[in-house]
Amino acid sequence: MITDDKIDVSSRRRILTIVIIVVFAILFLRLYHLQLLSYSEFGKKSEENSVRVVIKEPVRGYMFDRNDRLVVDVGPAYTVTVTPASFDTNNLVFLSSLMQVDPAVIKERINRGRTYSRFSPVRILRDIDFKTLSKLEENLYLLPGVNYEVESKRLYPFGKCASHLLGYCKEITDEQLKQTGTVYQQGDLVGSSGLEASYETFLRGEKGYEFISVNSKGQLLGSLEEGRRDIPSKEGFDLILSIDFGLQAFAESLMTKYRGALVAIDPNDGGILAMVSKPDFDPAIFSGVTSSKVWTKLNTDPDKPLFNRATMTRYPPGSTFKMLIAAAALEEGIINERYRITCRGSFRFGNRIFKDVHVHGSVNVVQAIQKSCDVFFYQLILKVGLDKLNEYGRRFGFSKSTGIDIGEETSGLIPSAEYYDRVYGKDKWTQGNLVSLGIGQGEIGVSPLQMARYVAVFANNGTLIQPHAVNSIRNKRTNRIDIIDHKEIPVWLNYDVMRMIREGIRRVVEEPGGTGSLARISGIVSAGKTGTAQNPHGADHAWYVGFAPFDQPRIAIAVMLENAGYGGTKAAPIAGMVMEKYLFGELRRKVIKPVSAVIPRDTILLKTTEKGEH
Amino acid sequence: MFSYFKEYFDFRVLFICLALVIVGLICIYSATFDINNAANFHRQALWAGIGFIIMIVISFVPLRTLQRLSITFYFIAIATLVIILVVGSTVKGSKSWFGLIGLGGQPSEFAKITTVLAFASYISKTDVSISKVKHLFISLGIFAVPMFLILAQPDLGTTIVFFVVLLPLLYWAGASNFILVSILVPILTAFGALLGTTYFIIAVAIGAVLLYIFRENKFTVAVAFGIMLAIGLSVQVMYESMHVYQQKRISAFLNPEADPLGAGYNVVQSKIAIGSGGFFGKGFLKGTQTQLNYIPEQWTDFIFCVTGEEFGTLGASIVLGLFAALLLHALRVASISRNRFSSLAAIGIMGIFGTHIVINTGMSMGLMPVVGLPLPFLSYGGSSLVANMIMAGLLMNFYANRKEY
Repeated sequence: MITDDKIDVSSRRRILTIVIIVVFAILFLRLYHLQLLSYSEFGKKSEENSVRVVIKEPVRGYMFDRNDRLVVDVGPAYTVTVTPASFDTNNLVFLSSLMQVDPAVIKERINRGRTYSRFSPVRILRDIDFKTLSKLEENLYLLPGVNYEVESKRLYPFGKCASHLLGYCKEITDEQLKQTGTVYQQGDLVGSSGLEASYETFLRGEKGYEFISVNSKGQLLGSLEEGRRDIPSKEGFDLILSIDFGLQAFAESLMTKYRGALVAIDPNDGGILAMVSKPDFDPAIFSGVTSSKVWTKLNTDPDKPLFNRATMTRYPPGSTFKMLIAAAALEEGIINERYRITCRGSFRFGNRIFKDVHVHGSVNVVQAIQKSCDVFFYQLILKVGLDKLNEYGRRFGFSKSTGIDIGEETSGLIPSAEYYDRVYGKDKWTQGNLVSLGIGQGEIGVSPLQMARYVAVFANNGTLIQPHAVNSIRNKRTNRIDIIDHKEIPVWLNYDVMRMIREGIRRVVEEPGGTGSLARISGIVSAGKTGTAQNPHGADHAWYVGFAPFDQPRIAIAVMLENAGYGGTKAAPIAGMVMEKYLFGELRRKVIKPVSAVIPRDTILLKTTEKGEH
Repeated sequence: MFSYFKEYFDFRVLFICLALVIVGLICIYSATFDINNAANFHRQALWAGIGFIIMIVISFVPLRTLQRLSITFYFIAIATLVIILVVGSTVKGSKSWFGLIGLGGQPSEFAKITTVLAFASYISKTDVSISKVKHLFISLGIFAVPMFLILAQPDLGTTIVFFVVLLPLLYWAGASNFILVSILVPILTAFGALLGTTYFIIAVAIGAVLLYIFRENKFTVAVAFGIMLAIGLSVQVMYESMHVYQQKRISAFLNPEADPLGAGYNVVQSKIAIGSGGFFGKGFLKGTQTQLNYIPEQWTDFIFCVTGEEFGTLGASIVLGLFAALLLHALRVASISRNRFSSLAAIGIMGIFGTHIVINTGMSMGLMPVVGLPLPFLSYGGSSLVANMIMAGLLMNFYANRKEY
C-alpha cells in the first residue's frame, strides 16, 4: 500500500474509524435507551406479556372392526397440571390432600418438569374423577400455578377384549423424547404396544396451538384476537381392522380357562379375524393414569399377562408339523402316493427306540397324516434331511417373522446344521437328533400366528399370505380411505402334492380314525390337524390347526393351549366352535364338555432317556 | 520464542473471538436447554472446537499461497452456488442449505470470504487500477456473479452484505467518490420505491443532486442516473405486481411496529426482551422472554436479545465493545499491512463482520428491518461459525505477515 502514492492510507483509515465509532455509538445509545430509559415500560410489558401458546392435543384416531363397529373409542380425561415457576411449594400438602395422592409423587413430577422448563405446565395427575375435579375447581384460586386440562383417553366399548392386539399408550420416556425430536413433549402419551404402537404415526394426529392472553401469574384472561391466529389440532386417522369383534369376544370366552393363544385368519387375504392371548389384561388400566403398583403387578405376574402368546411364544408344533414334512418329501420326489410303510408301533434308530401310540399297520402318506402315524414320519424325516426341512420351513414362513403389523413377534426356529454345530459342537450330533423333528418335536419353535399362516397355505391352495390386523386407514379430514396392500408369496407346490395333503387333513376331521373329529362342524366339510407338543417343564401343550369350508375356505385357525394335554380333545373343539360361529354367525352345536380319553392320542413323549440326550 | 509470538501472533483477535464464542454458547444454552435438551449447544460447542483448529491453521498459511489460491476458491464457491440453485434442498423457502453428508452447510457463508479474497487478489495485481473503467467493471463483476446467485436462492440478507462490503472495499482500493455514490444511490431509490411514490421522487431528487456534486463528466453522470432510475422504477413495478401477502411482508419489513402480532411480532418481542433486561439483566436462565420462547428460533438470528435480557446492559455492552474492537483491529491490520492483497482482504473482512453486526443487533433493537443475518460468533449455526473463524484466522495471518510485501 505504501508504495501507492495516490492512496493516502492514514486519511482513509481516519474516515473509516469515524464511521465505525459513529455506528457503534448509535448502537450503544439505542441499547441504553431500551434498557435504562425505557426499562420500566419494557419491564412491565415483559411481566404482563401476555401471549402464551397453549398446545392443543389432537384426538387420537378411533379403531373399527371389519363390520364397522367402534372398538376403540376416545373420551375426555381431566389432567392436573402445575407450572413450576408459579407454584408455591407451601401448597404442596394441600394439593396432594385434594388429589389424594402422596405429596412425594407430586413433588417428584414437578422437579422432573422443572429441569425442562420452569414456565411450562407439568402434567402431575392424569384422568382424575369428576368429584376430585370439582374439589380442585373450588380451590383453584388458592393454588397459583395449578390448573387442569382436558385430554383424551381410550375407552373400550367391548371391555377387556383383544387387549394384546390393540395395545396401549404410555407416557413418553426420556429416551424416546430424545429420539423423536420436537414431535412430542414431556408427559405426552405415545403408543407403546400392539396396534397403538405400530400405527402411532397415523393415530396420533397433529397438535394444535392456541394463543391465549395471560397475566403475569399465568392466569388465563381470554383468547387472543378471538382465536383468529389459532392453529386447530388435527384428529388422528382411524384404523379399520380386519378383526371381527363378535368372533373375538366369543373366542376369548372359550379360552378363559387356559393359558394359550388362538389366531383366526382369512386365508384369502391374510386379515386376522380374531387373535386371543390368555391370560390377558384390561387395556382400560392404561388409558388414564397407571399406578406403578398395577404396572409392577402385571410385569411380575408369573402367568405373564402382558405377553402376547399369539405372536411371541415359541413352542414345538407337534404333529401339526407333519404336513410340512410330507409336502417336502412329495415335492422333492422322495416318496410318492404309492409309498407305504408298515407301522409296528415303534421305530428303532441306532440304540434308541421312538414309540408310536398305536400300531397303524401299512399306511401311505394320506393315511399317515389322517392317523398321525409317528413311525411314518420318523422314517420320512431321515429321507428328507435337515437342509430340505429348513428350505421348506422357510417356504411355509417359519424361522422368520411374519411381518404382522402389530410389531412384537418371534421369528421362531427350525434347527439347521449350523445351529446343531453351535449348540452341540461340530460332529457331536447325529441323524438321531433329526428323528424327533419329524413329528414336530425337539428344538423346533413356532408361534400360533405362524401356524395359522401355515395352515392357510393348505386352505388357499398354495399362497403364503401376509397376516395383518388393519385393513385400511381412514383420514377423517379428507374422508379418504387407504387400503393397505399386503404381499402374497406363492409356495410353489405341485397340484398333486397339495391334493394329497389336503385329503389327509380332511380325513383327520371328517373320517373315522382321524384325530380331529371334535373340530367337526355339522353341515360343513373342514380340514385340520391335531398336535400335542412335549414340554419338559410340565404337561403337554395342545395344538390344533385347521380351516373351513374345505372347498372355499373362509377361515383358517391355530389354537395353542399351554399345558392343557391332547390337541384332539382340548384344542380341536375350541377351533371347531370358533369356525362354526364365524361361518354360521351362531353356535349350532352344544358346547362340548371335556371328553374322556377315548380319542386316540396322536403323539407320545419320547422316552426320558432320549430327552436327556437332546 | 516468546518475543516472536509477541511480534507475530495476533493475541487480540484470538481473545476477542474466544470471548464472543463463549458468550454465544452461554446464550444458546439458555435459549435451547428446555427445547431440545441443549442439543444445539453441544453441536455448537463441537463446531467451535473445529472452527478454532481451522482458525489457527489458516493463520499459519503463507500469504503468497492464500493469494494464489483465492481465484481457485472463488470459482469453487461459484460452482457450489450454481449446484445448489439446481439441486439444493429447500429449507425455510430458501435454497441455501447444502445437504452434505448429513451436515447442513451454507456455501453462501464461504462465498462471501472467497469473493472478498478474489477481489483483493485481482485489484492487487500490479497492472490493475480501479480508476480504469475495464478494471472497475471486472472487479464489480467479481461481486455481481455470487451476489445474483445468492439473491436467486433467495437470500436477501447475504445479498445486502455483498452490496455493503463492496463500498469500503472500493473506497480502500482508491475508487473515486463518484463511483461510490453511483453504487449507493440506486439502493436509495429502491427503498424509496417501496415506501411510496412521494418517497421515490424525493430519493430520485437526492440521488440526482449527489451525482451532480460528485460528477466527473456528463456521460458517466447520465449513465449512473439512468441506472438509478431503472432500478427504482423496476422495483416500483415489481411491488405493484406482487401478491398482497408479499406486499404485506415488505411493509412489515420496513415498519414492523404496525403489526405487532403479525410479521412484526419478532421485533416487538425482541425489543421487550432487551428492554426488560435492565442494567444487570434478569440472570442466566431467568429471562422470561427467552425461557417462554416468545421469539421463534431465538438461538439463530435473535441471539442478541438473550444477551440483552439475561445479562443486561452490562453483558450487551461487553459484546458490542468486543465487536467494535474487532472491527478497529481489522482496520489497523489493513492499515499497517505492506501487502496490498492482505490490506484489501482485511478491509473486506471488516466489512463482512461490520455488516452482520450492525444489521443483526440493529434488528434486535428495532433499528433495522428484519433481515435474516446471523450475529458473528454468537448465533447458532455451524457454517456461519466456521466461516467467522476462518475470517479471524485470515486476520491473524495478515497481522503476522504485515511486513511482507
